[in-house]
Amino acid sequence: MTARRLLTPANAALAVLVVLLLALPAINSGFFVTFVLTQALIYGLIAVTIVFLTSHGGMISLAQLLFAGIAGFMFGNAALESGARGLNLGWPPWVAVLFALAVTTAVAFLLGALASRTTGIYFLMLTLVYGVIGYTFFAQVVTVSGPGGVTSIVAPEPFTDRVNLYYAAVVLSALAYLAFRAIGRTNFGLALQGVRDDPVRMSSLGFNVPLHRTLAFTLGGFVAGVAGLLNVWWRGQIDPASISIGPTLIVLIIAVIGGISYFEGAWLGALVYVLLDTYTDSIPLIDRIGLTPDRFNTVIGLMVLLIMVLSPEGLVGILERVRRGRGGASPSEHSIELPTTSPTPVQTGSGREP
Amino acid sequence: MRPDTTTGATSGDPVVELRSVVVAFGGLLALGGVDLDVAQGERLAILGPNGAGKTTLFNVVAGDLVPTEGSVVLKGVDCTHLPSRHRPRLGVGRTYQKARSFPGLAVGDNLYLAVVGRHGRQRALLPRSGDHSWRDRAAAAAESVWLYDRLDTRVADLSHGQKRQLEIGMAIVTEPDVLLLDEPASGLSRGERERLTGLLDELAADSTLLLIEHDMDVAFKVARRIVVMSDGKIVASGTPEEIQANALVHEIYLGSEALT
Ligand SMILES: Nc1ncnc2c1ncn2[C@@H]1O[C@H](COP(=O)(O)OP(=O)(O)OP(=O)(O)O)[C@@H](O)[C@H]1O
Ligand SMILES: [Mg+2]
Repeated sequence: MTARRLLTPANAALAVLVVLLLALPAINSGFFVTFVLTQALIYGLIAVTIVFLTSHGGMISLAQLLFAGIAGFMFGNAALESGARGLNLGWPPWVAVLFALAVTTAVAFLLGALASRTTGIYFLMLTLVYGVIGYTFFAQVVTVSGPGGVTSIVAPEPFTDRVNLYYAAVVLSALAYLAFRAIGRTNFGLALQGVRDDPVRMSSLGFNVPLHRTLAFTLGGFVAGVAGLLNVWWRGQIDPASISIGPTLIVLIIAVIGGISYFEGAWLGALVYVLLDTYTDSIPLIDRIGLTPDRFNTVIGLMVLLIMVLSPEGLVGILERVRRGRGGASPSEHSIELPTTSPTPVQTGSGREP
Repeated sequence: MRPDTTTGATSGDPVVELRSVVVAFGGLLALGGVDLDVAQGERLAILGPNGAGKTTLFNVVAGDLVPTEGSVVLKGVDCTHLPSRHRPRLGVGRTYQKARSFPGLAVGDNLYLAVVGRHGRQRALLPRSGDHSWRDRAAAAAESVWLYDRLDTRVADLSHGQKRQLEIGMAIVTEPDVLLLDEPASGLSRGERERLTGLLDELAADSTLLLIEHDMDVAFKVARRIVVMSDGKIVASGTPEEIQANALVHEIYLGSEALT
């Protein structure tokens, strides 16, 4: 790839954004950066795996928070020397990191292989079942967690420092974003999109469809595991409730409000969610209209509804339309080169499975 | 190896051998015991009314369907239970009656995937210098199905006819030894049909072609042997001239339609 090809407006914007985010703590290293932004970046890093699996593989996974959780639990069990619960293996923190990621990736591979012959609603249900089983496992197996979870978890140096942890979240998010975008152009990524569009055709072209699905799922699990490590370092503890159905759905909602077919949407959706979650109660007189903190889900639900009505492609979809509407004096290639052979394209010929 | 036009037989080795192939969908016999030998280099057209089992026959050869009974031998290898994904490497390439390309990908990527499917590196995450030649082949195939100026167009934005052209392109780009075309001319204009006939005439002499086609112009121009199917069985087989003269064929398939 030449430097010229790398210098697209999108990449330039990303570079500027990353530099700004990295420079931000110099101005303000308080609550907004180390709480709001770090949390949004971590949620975004989990949600982007949902976006990847959905947009490139046609697999809507409800197991991504589980993989984040597995990494967190494994790290806690391996790194702690003594604690109220868990195995307290007391391994060096970076060994614990490798162990956590290895276990997460292996579990993702196995669960992915098991789900690789299902699609659509069946895949969704199966991953939901994974999530429920994972939750139950950690809630009931007291040797590794139990309902109270694993507490007093300390991040490896230098990430005990909140600003450094924020830096890590920025850098890893940028890397994941670039990697997922690049994968779409590789043989593997193209094949995965082929599997999404028509698995039968992919088989008859010579591709191993279940293996492609399994590997994509494994990759998604690995990245979610990385996010899970950041999460457990940031919170200092992890309990089964944090990977129960409620939070699982929140991660899905984040991916959807951001825009399920845009990688950047994952972080945008996460930011909107965390801002709402954090600041709704400081809106003046909010409790007067009956919105006590336990009803914030209603606000979030209404936001989701509003965004979905405005744009099924989420927030990034809205931004795209605004951008095209304003600067879009030059019509896109496609609108010039309309199909000429038949005036009304026949939809049944698209070959897309229901 | 040119087919012997007088008898319909060919001198090449058999590349497709179907032995008493039965395909049952519940109680329905889509194929009711089909025997068929196709020799290397042969140009075979399969005719038959709707529901005769033509597509089912292709599905069995391409591996999309495992026959209920009987055996499928390709190039001397028993493939009866071999999954479809192993067949491109045996040189089998097919099109589908309803275009089945990848709507979310560009025309060039569709063709490129077909090449990758046949030649490997399917899970590669890093590009390799050889990928360029595969891209070149995809571009060349796009040119031969008149889609060169659409290489970067998403398939979803193609017209119906262009999707049909791409369907053919995805089959020929792998340079298959055994090419199965399921009604390639449907949805094409008259001019495009003529170009299609020309394209099929240019196929390498040793590649084998099985063609399902309702368009007699295309079928009789391209094929040296015609097989007629009805109700899951082969009811007639012979040269285009023999088939045109066959009374049974007229009765079951052509009805009042005259063969031209
Ligand atoms: N997957 C399937 N499940 C059930 N029945 C099927 C299936 N595929 C085909 N059939 C039936 O098998 C019979 C043969 O179908 P096939 O598609 O092979 O016919 P065809 O000769 O290709 O017809 P056409 O000219 O309409 O394409 C038909 O009666 C069809 O309804
Ligand atoms: Mg058919």
